[in-house]
Amino acid sequence: MTGNEIYRDVTKEEFPQECSRLFNGGNGRLRTMFAADLRETGEGFCIYAVFSRAQEDRFEILRLKNIEGKDGAYSFPSITPAVPAAHWYERQIADMFGLVPSGHPDLHPLVLHGLYPPEVYPLRRDISPEAIGRQLALEKEDLSPFMEVKGEGIYEIPVGPVHAGIIEPGHFRFSAVGETIYYLDARLFYTHKGVEKLFERTGFRAGVRLAERVSGVSSFAHSAAYCMALERMSGTLLPARAAAIRTLLLEMERLYNHVGDIGNMCAGTGFAVGYAQGASLKERLMALNERLTGSRYLRGVNAPGGVLADPLDEPAGTLREIEDITKEYKSFISFLTDSVSHVERLENAGVLSRPVALSLGATGVAARASGLNDDIRTTHPHLYYNQLVFETHTRMKGDVFARMMLRADEVECSIAIIRSILHKAKGKRIEGSILSEWEAPANKSGQALGYVEGPRGSVFYFVKSAADGTPLRVKPRAASFCNWPLMPFAVHGNIVPDFPLINKSFNLSYSGSDA
Amino acid sequence: MLGRIFYNIIGKKRVLPREQIVAAAPEALLAGEKENGKEKRIFSGEFTRSVRIRQVDAGSCNACEWECTALTNPVYDIQRFGVDFVASPRHADILLVTGPVSVAMAGALKKTWLATPDPKIVIACGDCAKDGGVYKGSYAVTGGVDKVVPVDAFIPGCPPKPAEIAANIMQIVKVFSKIK
Repeated sequence: MTGNEIYRDVTKEEFPQECSRLFNGGNGRLRTMFAADLRETGEGFCIYAVFSRAQEDRFEILRLKNIEGKDGAYSFPSITPAVPAAHWYERQIADMFGLVPSGHPDLHPLVLHGLYPPEVYPLRRDISPEAIGRQLALEKEDLSPFMEVKGEGIYEIPVGPVHAGIIEPGHFRFSAVGETIYYLDARLFYTHKGVEKLFERTGFRAGVRLAERVSGVSSFAHSAAYCMALERMSGTLLPARAAAIRTLLLEMERLYNHVGDIGNMCAGTGFAVGYAQGASLKERLMALNERLTGSRYLRGVNAPGGVLADPLDEPAGTLREIEDITKEYKSFISFLTDSVSHVERLENAGVLSRPVALSLGATGVAARASGLNDDIRTTHPHLYYNQLVFETHTRMKGDVFARMMLRADEVECSIAIIRSILHKAKGKRIEGSILSEWEAPANKSGQALGYVEGPRGSVFYFVKSAADGTPLRVKPRAASFCNWPLMPFAVHGNIVPDFPLINKSFNLSYSGSDA
Repeated sequence: MLGRIFYNIIGKKRVLPREQIVAAAPEALLAGEKENGKEKRIFSGEFTRSVRIRQVDAGSCNACEWECTALTNPVYDIQRFGVDFVASPRHADILLVTGPVSVAMAGALKKTWLATPDPKIVIACGDCAKDGGVYKGSYAVTGGVDKVVPVDAFIPGCPPKPAEIAANIMQIVKVFSKIK
């Protein structure tokens, strides 16, 4: 196990106190929280909570094991009152494992809609996917109530799950006064595909394909974090050239996402020219991805132990293309910031305040645009990042404009990183193999964290193997899972027609969060 | 500003020519043409070139959606072939369904299908829309669009590239069209 993960077992009484101390004691972040069914190893149901601080490269992993239950009803003390960022994690644990967080202020189903029988907990190891499938009621509708806002002049606007545009499914229930949104209740998890259970069946190596398909536009971030967890679990050293390639492609992924997002915000304001230019720039980047790796979404590159494609083969040609794209991008961004009508719509729309972002555990662009210095590329250096000089950008205002400009800053940062790696490769300073041997730890169980900074924020993976080298638990935590709960706060007080714009400014992945 | 607007006209052409799109290996598989020796498809020859598409995400990973969105960008510009995406199933001729159809989306997909007026073509787009793909065997997916609504054609790929989607849509429409 690598050095920066510190595992600690705590008692039921200590658990909420310790979590509170780690979260509230200065710059603490809840990175991920999940349960594991370790009844086969004699440790019962366990809850893991992973904390880290911005100032040191260390993950404090608290574990509460052997959760007690009477007559099959298990419960553990909720940490949400002290650590608000845990509220979705605990609801997820309750849905998937049937472990009830006692003292949770807002406990109701999150992941499983009314179609699943209440006593079915899909991630328990003693129930097979087929057994769950047999108990599902496909023709039923999810009739669980939405948050109801009462008062004079308040009316509800239901939207979704099938939306007007080409986007992912989710149901939004607006309670509005006139045009102003008073409250937004978002019901997500329509794209829940049971990925965590599937990981246990596919095996570690084949799981890469699945990790790439947790969230389509963060394919590379997810597979890189997953492979990193596997490599740390077995103590495999990643070759330097493979680390550089992963860093390069992570930045390529950030680049096409950010450029695409900046362009998409133009669709939110009806600014067709900006949208078209952003879309064609993004298309150029996707074509470059395809030329470098054979996949527009950078799929099929990562493998445990390294990478399968070598995009550093011909750095000179790639550099020329990047220079050309940069030129076009610069004229695009100055065109957008010169368009007063566009910028005016963005300013002061969808403000996410710093305290809300901090306590609800925002990550990525959403956090940094609200003044939080949250970037695991700099706080927990990994891959090739510790050999590069760059800084974390932040913006203070937390509105749509701040999120757009933060993306613009980060695009320039990504371009600089890409150029730096390509120049080094051109000067033959990154040599060696791209793939080293990887084996699942045999005859002993292992566990490890993997993490990268994806386009939407930090992506975490936890893997744990059983004694026979098969997956016992694989837990992906997409960036969007942390950021979705922020949405009701960001849209509060805005007008309904601005919702698509605010939604685009976060551009969260439904599939990643729903998993 | 005007120069910007006409960038694609006066500037260097970026749009992919029709021939290149059609050459993107059209390999759409038409489903259920013959079942027990009997023609299963409900209709043929209903459309004449221009069609409107309603895209439905039934639990995909979002890659297919972005490739569908890319169809409307200045490079592929699918509108020039008389094909466009619409906001309501009531305006649509084609349902382009992506994803393995998650359990939670099965009902919504069925309702969307019912809301689409006949005659309609249902295209399952992407490997997981065919049989569940990588998600096959999960408790949370029904395992393919045809488990929920009748499917007329299938576009392979994970995700299929925009040019492949465009070429396949044009080929499928041709099959269902009066003008050969």
